[in-house]
Amino acid sequence: MTVPLTPRMKNWIEKFGVHAAVATRDRLPVVLVSYGCEVESDTVKIPLSRAQIGQVKDLFAEPPLVALGPGQLGSVRAPYQFKGKGALQNNNLVVKVSEIYCTRPGAEAGLRLDVLGYEKMKGFEEERWKDLKPPRA
Amino acid sequence: MAKLTPEMKQVLKVVGKGGAVVFLSTCSKDGKPNIVAERFITHYKDEYILIAEMFAQKTKVNLNENEQGCISVAHPSKGKTWVFRGPCTIISHAASPNYRWHGIRAKEVLAEWGNWAEKEPPDEVPPDIAPPKLAQRGIIALKVEEIYSWEPQEAGKVLSS
Repeated sequence: MTVPLTPRMKNWIEKFGVHAAVATRDRLPVVLVSYGCEVESDTVKIPLSRAQIGQVKDLFAEPPLVALGPGQLGSVRAPYQFKGKGALQNNNLVVKVSEIYCTRPGAEAGLRLDVLGYEKMKGFEEERWKDLKPPRA
Repeated sequence: MAKLTPEMKQVLKVVGKGGAVVFLSTCSKDGKPNIVAERFITHYKDEYILIAEMFAQKTKVNLNENEQGCISVAHPSKGKTWVFRGPCTIISHAASPNYRWHGIRAKEVLAEWGNWAEKEPPDEVPPDIAPPKLAQRGIIALKVEEIYSWEPQEAGKVLSS
């Protein structure tokens, strides 16, 4: 089952992009990085360059699992990890998010958020962080 | 064998000392990836990167069944768009002092970085992100075998191997 991202999650990764990890057939991790992306509900659309597509296209014969971490300042201020099946569509990596984790260091590291349900997941964030939008550049 | 350059070594430090936050990526034996941001980081000799093992859960499970990792520079990253890949493990505080992994001796790295929060406290981490308490269980070590660029226009370009 997929899960919609909250406004805070959307705002941070749309502005700062993501680091996307996927495994090769030999089970080596590969990382792709984008400077921005688009989020609509449960779907993250990551624009890829020709070089990035060439780097991973063979891995997408069957939709692999992809793990996403917020890029740039988001790596500090937006402690989430998103997981889901990924597919190459045109020049984008499209990930349908089915798992969301908190990666804040400490007792909450690794806490699975999507199982809380959307409203409680939003509430979890609002109790901890006031920056629903990242700062302007 | 890939070697870390002086420029890379400047980046592979805690943020408070001019370094960068990085992502550590691992994957399970059946190909499920995991990616987490890390603040406690250093280079060691010319070919190792060390990270504090504090809250790694999936990372630990993955490394126990698939000893491979990737470290990508996350923030700040301008001009530092590197990914370091190679064998990766956890050297636990419970390890024998003479335990060796790819040329690293447990007692050497644990003596210097085994209590990282005291050595390099996370003073620059915002209070709403910083954990109230840090409990280190060991050190994650990656031996750099390949360095490639993540910059989108030249992604995958091997810089050293």
